[in-house]
Amino acid sequence: MRMTTLLACAGVLLSQLATAADALPQRWVSAGGAFSEWVVALGGESKLVGVDSTSQYPRSLHSLPGIGYQRALAAEGILALRPDILVGSNEMGAPPVLEQLKAGGVRIELLSAKPDVQALEHNLTQLGQLLGNQAQAQTLLDGYRQRLQSQAAWVKQAQQHHQAPRVLMLLSHSGGNLQVAGKDTLAAWMINQAGGQSLGDHNGYKPVSVEAMLALDPEVIIFAGGRLEGDAARAALLQQNPILAQTRAGRDGRVVVIDPTLLVGGLGPRVPDALSMLSTAFYPSAQAQTAEIKR
Amino acid sequence: MTAMFRPRPTLMVLGLLLLLVFWLSLALGPVSLPLSDTLLAGLRLLGVPVDGSGTQQAELILGQIRMPRSLLGIAVGSVLALSGVAMQGLFRNPLADPGLVGVSGGAALGAALAIVGGSLLGGVPPAVEPYLLSVCAFAGGLVVTAVVYRFGRIDGQTNVATMLLAGVAMTAMAGAGVGLFTYLADDATLRTLTFWNLGSLNGASYQRLWPLLIVAVGVALWLPRRAPALNAMLLGESEARHLGFDIERIKLELVICTALGVGAAVAAAGLIGFIGLVVPHLMRLLVGPDHRVLLPASLLAGASLLLLADLVARLLLAPAELPIGIVTALIGAPFFLYLLVRGRS
Repeated sequence: MRMTTLLACAGVLLSQLATAADALPQRWVSAGGAFSEWVVALGGESKLVGVDSTSQYPRSLHSLPGIGYQRALAAEGILALRPDILVGSNEMGAPPVLEQLKAGGVRIELLSAKPDVQALEHNLTQLGQLLGNQAQAQTLLDGYRQRLQSQAAWVKQAQQHHQAPRVLMLLSHSGGNLQVAGKDTLAAWMINQAGGQSLGDHNGYKPVSVEAMLALDPEVIIFAGGRLEGDAARAALLQQNPILAQTRAGRDGRVVVIDPTLLVGGLGPRVPDALSMLSTAFYPSAQAQTAEIKR
Repeated sequence: MTAMFRPRPTLMVLGLLLLLVFWLSLALGPVSLPLSDTLLAGLRLLGVPVDGSGTQQAELILGQIRMPRSLLGIAVGSVLALSGVAMQGLFRNPLADPGLVGVSGGAALGAALAIVGGSLLGGVPPAVEPYLLSVCAFAGGLVVTAVVYRFGRIDGQTNVATMLLAGVAMTAMAGAGVGLFTYLADDATLRTLTFWNLGSLNGASYQRLWPLLIVAVGVALWLPRRAPALNAMLLGESEARHLGFDIERIKLELVICTALGVGAAVAAAGLIGFIGLVVPHLMRLLVGPDHRVLLPASLLAGASLLLLADLVARLLLAPAELPIGIVTALIGAPFFLYLLVRGRS
């Protein structure tokens, strides 16, 4: 019995060595903020030779060559980076460019940008295999699941004593029109997971007049702004849209600022942290999340 | 307005310029290929049996990426410039642009319908998808131009001024339609639409090239036959009629050539502004108003300018690339201003 186990172990080891020798892709191009973050989290940062314009985090990625926007990729530009593999979502394109890249010997690996755990599981498994780091991918996935579960448990607990707050998520690019996050967005998923009730009733991100925002009367506003952070972003938002100060969120000072790069390319590694931050803001009087969750 | 240069040598210089830019467009790119590889790969693509070991990458880049892209650039640039000449001749106005008869606005509306409508309906069948955008843009351009032409017809005659105003109105309406689709679009499709509106030769393939090439050759062969009529129209419509030209027919032909040419160019490469307006104007300054010279000169210069702009677009930010519409305006506008100032002094 022990012998068979040993043999099996050896077999697994050997096959892993074999796949490693089968030349895992060494030069990576990533098109998608969350995908790049996962590649980095799985220890693949040194293999990245190019990233798209949404890969803004960690900041060390800024020093890599930029391949532009994921839907307007340039075939020859990417080939010039001599990549073995290009990872991105199915929004990546244009299709003829992907064909040209395939002809140039670049492996195209499609990951899912859907905000759900199944998509994340698929993405992490794929990335783990391709980076030769399945064990860590599994660990990260288990940890992620666990955090989402305890997050959900905490929210359930908090909702026994408090009503779910009405939340409006606003997105603004460098002072332009405010866009409200609607259904089918990662933002809505996050609000929901953090125990809030998302007020955006439309699909995707849409501009909404401040008067309509006033009528929605959110209790909490989440703001994903351009380059400003924290208090500066909050102040800028209220200064440019003074009406917002008249909403309940504005009166109570419940404006939460999050990093807009969190919202691109599906569930990224930083989402659980952002979720506990959001739910703490949604239920300020509830018991703080345990140290284990907050970490 | 007289020519700065004599026609024949100018045409030869423009021809040589186009050859040079075409060569640069094949030889330069984000992937730096040794000159010898480019030459060998070029020979092999032409079917010359030379030693091909070590040039597979060069053959791929040259044959599958740069060649279709450069040919697309030549076709788009020349068709836009020729249509510009046709429109400026038709409206007898050097500020006329191929978009004036509504073809660009209509194509943009068609493209918006394809991009946004497709995603609103939850995707289109994969077999149709690669062609949908091009077909819709082409059809949109033709339909709107036909409507504009119809508005210009009064008592069996085409009133150019009415047509111009109808073109402005229809373009505004198409713009409103595009705006509506922009509002309905989700984030991703919105960005696709924005990029499409700035034009690009990126992802050119022979598949996308052939339809445009056929239209471009047709337009390039047809319009010069109408050069004498265009010359006569410079004098005025009734004068041209007295000289024996069938003006109504000529006007229809010019509109059809523009609608087909610009429609096909826009369908293949998105909206690329400026070439159609400025190239004919520049060439008029160089070779004078005689359409027998102006048409071929504009064809050559339009193709060269577009290739040059594309070269900048793909080299400047490599490995990413700029939409070409930005570059054509950035190169063309200052040069145009320079010529205006120079012409005045």
